[in-house]
Amino acid sequence: MFARRNPRMVVGATLIAMLLFVAAFAPIISPYDPVKVDVAESLLPPSGTHLLGTDDLGRDVLSRVMWGARVSLSVGLISVLIGFLVGVSIGMAAGYLGGTFDLLAMRVIDALLAFPALVLAIAITAALGPQIQNAMIAIGIVAIPGYARLTRGQVLSVRAREFVVAARTVGVPPIGIVLRHIFPNITNPLVVQATLATAFAILAEAALSFLGLGPQPPYPSWGQDINYSQRYLANFYWWMSFGPGVAIFVAVFAFNFLGDALRDALDPRLRRSG
Amino acid sequence: MTQYILRRLLLMIPVAFLVTVGIFVLVRLAPGDPVLTYAGENNDPVTIAYIRAQLGLDQPLPIQYAAWLSKALQGDLGRSLQTKQRVVEAIGERLPATLELGAAAILISVVVALVVGTLSALKRNSVLDLVTTSVTLAGVSFPNFFLGLILILVFAFVVPGHLFPPGGYVAFVADPGDNLRRLVLPAITLATASLAVNMRQVRSSLIDVFGLDYMRTARAKGLHEGAVIARHALKNALIPVVTIIGIQIGAIIEGAFITETIFFWPGVGRLAVQAIPSQDYPIVQGVVLISALSFMFSTLLVDVLYAVLDPRISFGAAEA
Repeated sequence: MFARRNPRMVVGATLIAMLLFVAAFAPIISPYDPVKVDVAESLLPPSGTHLLGTDDLGRDVLSRVMWGARVSLSVGLISVLIGFLVGVSIGMAAGYLGGTFDLLAMRVIDALLAFPALVLAIAITAALGPQIQNAMIAIGIVAIPGYARLTRGQVLSVRAREFVVAARTVGVPPIGIVLRHIFPNITNPLVVQATLATAFAILAEAALSFLGLGPQPPYPSWGQDINYSQRYLANFYWWMSFGPGVAIFVAVFAFNFLGDALRDALDPRLRRSG
Repeated sequence: MTQYILRRLLLMIPVAFLVTVGIFVLVRLAPGDPVLTYAGENNDPVTIAYIRAQLGLDQPLPIQYAAWLSKALQGDLGRSLQTKQRVVEAIGERLPATLELGAAAILISVVVALVVGTLSALKRNSVLDLVTTSVTLAGVSFPNFFLGLILILVFAFVVPGHLFPPGGYVAFVADPGDNLRRLVLPAITLATASLAVNMRQVRSSLIDVFGLDYMRTARAKGLHEGAVIARHALKNALIPVVTIIGIQIGAIIEGAFITETIFFWPGVGRLAVQAIPSQDYPIVQGVVLISALSFMFSTLLVDVLYAVLDPRISFGAAEA
């Protein structure tokens, strides 16, 4: 019944569950060691023994794609968590406190929004140094404005409602009002934002890795592996980039799909037309 | 109108100030000593101290910032640590290539979005519509560097006759034909990033407009279907599209970093990407600053255009 009513949500959630499974159990289910060099096996096209072929160093592409899922998903989820925690805190404080804090905080958010998102992520990672942790921080910072603006707007619309006024009247401290009365009423749009932001984060991580700003070789990462395979394109060794490319697409698509479906399901204004 | 533009420009000042502080702090956060990069082989302590003093890097941070900002305001963004070329000059040399690529991408994206989006809205739920909406959904999730590689593989290597070269750039004045031939693949790659969003926007805003009363009136008074669509529907549906083009400028700038890298396109994005591993911070700083400022101005331009196109938007309320 649920599956029939929300097919997109089921498809998105199933794909994400499969990706999480692969990422979590990559050490057990991947057929080969992703960094093991075996020159005798180099540049083999996809076959029964190597389903997605091997690269120039004889490393199994499928195993690298499976291990790469760990990088992409962990960067995606952790950076979204960073953006969520910082952005929602700023948004709630700005929306609830108003005044000078609101003014200052929103100017800082405007300044973050003045950068094209990926350019900011590139600049931060370049400054902090090309490492997976720094990519997480950079993508997390880029995600902050989205949450801050959304939360502030939601808080402004909720803070004047009767139950908030009532809580204030009976003497609930501001932090209690924000956490126990306002926050539970604004979670729906935040969940949608977090899902779509994860899709962006995975794409951004792939782009950073492609530019050499993510995890460093030989550690497998989808974006970096595509960049690496570029030099073999003219020799038609297409399988080297095919696996990681499709993996990025599937991961981003799954989160976008789920995010869109959640937005339709959680936004009452869209429910009828959805 | 003038008042509105002036107010928006004034509001940009504090944001631009924060942007410059942010970029300055970011560069100072960077690991490694830029003086060592600058000094190159001559790395005896006396030379290093001399260079440090000459670059002003022995001063406290706020003073360094003030010096950097006042120079930047006069159009001096420093010199590349590697080539010692002036940053403004380096960016200026590569700007035409980036602008050409960006303009071509916007053109492709807008034209295809308008044509396919309109057809898809007209023939709602047809096969074309279904294909369009699926492609749109897929397009948003497709990494453009992967698309770039597929295009290179297919058109530069697989298709007989090698239709388009895999990369590189020839100035338009040197050889217009070769310039355009090399432009096709990168422009398509860059355009795809925003094409999906544009197509969706054209389709949904046209569908909204089709349901409105004046459309029925236009048909009822006997206008040709073509005139109804061109003069009544499209004109009104274009307003949100203008906003999308504005947002897309951000996508074009960030896409340029990647697309230029794949296709060896000697633009501003590739300049920055190449400067990162060699820790050439003045270059990175300059390119990021120019990207942010052009993004801010294009957003302003779109807001103004939006107000011009839709007379219902009052200039007072538009900025709220």
